[in-house]
Amino acid sequence: MKTISTASAFVLLALSLIGCGGGTLDGVSPGPMAMGDKHHLTLTRRWADVSPILPQRSKKVRVLSVDGPWLNRVYVARGLQPGEGMLKRQDKEHPVPSFHADMAPTELVEFATDSVSAMGYMRVETSKLRPARFGAADGLRFDLAAKTESGLEVQGTAQMAVAGKKLYVILYLAPAEHYYAATLPDVEEMMRSAS
Amino acid sequence: MIGWPYRAPRLFGAFVLTAVLASAGPPAWAAAPADLELRPPNLKPAPKSVEAGMWDDSDRAEAHTRIAAELDTDPALQAYVRGVFCKIAADYCGEARVYVLDRPFLNATCFPNGYVEVWSGLLLRAQTEGQLAYVVGHEVSHFARNHSLSKWNHDKTTRDVATVLTVGVQAGAMFGMVKVAQSGAPNSRQMIDDISDMAQNLNDLIYLGAMAHIMAYSREHENEADRLGFQRAVAAGYEKSTGPDMWTGTIAESRASDFAAVRKADVRASIYRTHPLDQDRIDALKAQGGVVAAPDIDARKRYRAAIRGHLGSWLKDDLRRRDDGQTLFLIDRLSEVGEDFGVLQFYRGEAYRQRRHDGDAPLALAAYKTAVGYPDAPVAAWRELGEALRRAGDKPAAAEAFETYLAKAPDAEDRWLVEASLKTVKGA
Repeated sequence: MKTISTASAFVLLALSLIGCGGGTLDGVSPGPMAMGDKHHLTLTRRWADVSPILPQRSKKVRVLSVDGPWLNRVYVARGLQPGEGMLKRQDKEHPVPSFHADMAPTELVEFATDSVSAMGYMRVETSKLRPARFGAADGLRFDLAAKTESGLEVQGTAQMAVAGKKLYVILYLAPAEHYYAATLPDVEEMMRSAS
Repeated sequence: MIGWPYRAPRLFGAFVLTAVLASAGPPAWAAAPADLELRPPNLKPAPKSVEAGMWDDSDRAEAHTRIAAELDTDPALQAYVRGVFCKIAADYCGEARVYVLDRPFLNATCFPNGYVEVWSGLLLRAQTEGQLAYVVGHEVSHFARNHSLSKWNHDKTTRDVATVLTVGVQAGAMFGMVKVAQSGAPNSRQMIDDISDMAQNLNDLIYLGAMAHIMAYSREHENEADRLGFQRAVAAGYEKSTGPDMWTGTIAESRASDFAAVRKADVRASIYRTHPLDQDRIDALKAQGGVVAAPDIDARKRYRAAIRGHLGSWLKDDLRRRDDGQTLFLIDRLSEVGEDFGVLQFYRGEAYRQRRHDGDAPLALAAYKTAVGYPDAPVAAWRELGEALRRAGDKPAAAEAFETYLAKAPDAEDRWLVEASLKTVKGA
């Protein structure tokens, strides 16, 4: 397990360096950002699109960050269809959490927390489950607490809604110390504007 | 670390190597001498030695574990597992630091510096304290025999020899190619290509042979640790069925997997396996006096009492592996003890709900219905029962289940959601 973790970390580091050195990470300007064909959200600041250095995410998930993915990251799932997940399945023996159209609201929360666990976070807990709006659709909002493998406390918040049988997710994760609160206002605005 | 460039093995090399190694045969069980030398307690490595380097690595791993999110901080559980360690390894008890990690896989490790990891997946799968003791005894035996150091030395020597042989082959090939080129023979181009191909085949053969040699040595260590671990467990008063039963259980669990590759993984013998086949381990333990027998029910109950507080969270972790066939197998086996039905039936329902195969929904509903009949059922069982009943179209029963959930969990964070579901099934 440790060897795999070390190898994965090395690959991610290498990819990060390639990304920084090669200038391949795109910036995302303030303003509207599409969430699939029919939906969008509004960004209040400039973000970096760090999706290329997170190969584990599925194609329909875009990952934004301000200070780098280890310090803050926002997963934006742009209309997952039934059977699709936030993450790509690596092989047959390791399925990842996937969305189903008939999921109960508690199962949607479970889908999100299981996805966060599958990203490598541990001791994932939810709190403050509350209603949210996503355009005309009812949605869910809740907060998360988790730890990295090495014990770093992480906080998060998520908003999810099913519209047109597709799942839309905005999931924010950052270290509890400083970084979570620092970027939270921008994420709140992102979630509020999603429709 | 010394290595050599890997190329995909040519068919020729693989064929020849397989033939050579198959004719040689794998080392038999219990190849180690009878009077095995064990490391003395409280051993300290010589400064700047290879072993000292290993201790440094182990110290770092231990420091990482002390703050790791997976560290189980239940002092009672830590004390229990440490107690088992000390029962089968009293000689090393004083220097051992035992940590339980919440990882849903069957594993334990005893590092050269005395740092010991026991994973929750092992604790969930062991049926008795004896089975746990056998696996820990296996790891202690690696430690007592300094296997990590001898493996490091063995692997290094193997790699060094392989490197020398590879360089020799390359040099010989170069020499041959130069000679052919100087000869001016009409087919010299073809001959040079043939020499190059032959050298590549030989180097593939050397690489594969070296890997097979390294893996065979690893299997020898595993066999020896199996035998010594079994002896430790029996000497400490545990049943002679502990070892064979442990591996019988892992075979049965593998066969219950949702995935064909997992089901077949332990029936494919290979010269590149790091561990022996489980069936071979059972046969070897039987040769040492081990017996295959259903674990004693009282022993299972005593062990269950030690892990009961963690049963639910470990099953939840196991569900995240998303091999529901294996999780359901584990739940079946845990149910044989005749206790904890509320928890076990709830997680049986969760496994069926998560799996979503045809026919799973009624099975989940039945499991939730059974779970709520026991006082140890998690309160979430009522919510899931309500949801399963709603899906089955039984609205009155669903309403009753949701109301019970709300009564039992008045402060639940999802109260508003369940209230909404309740309104829906009541037709409001």
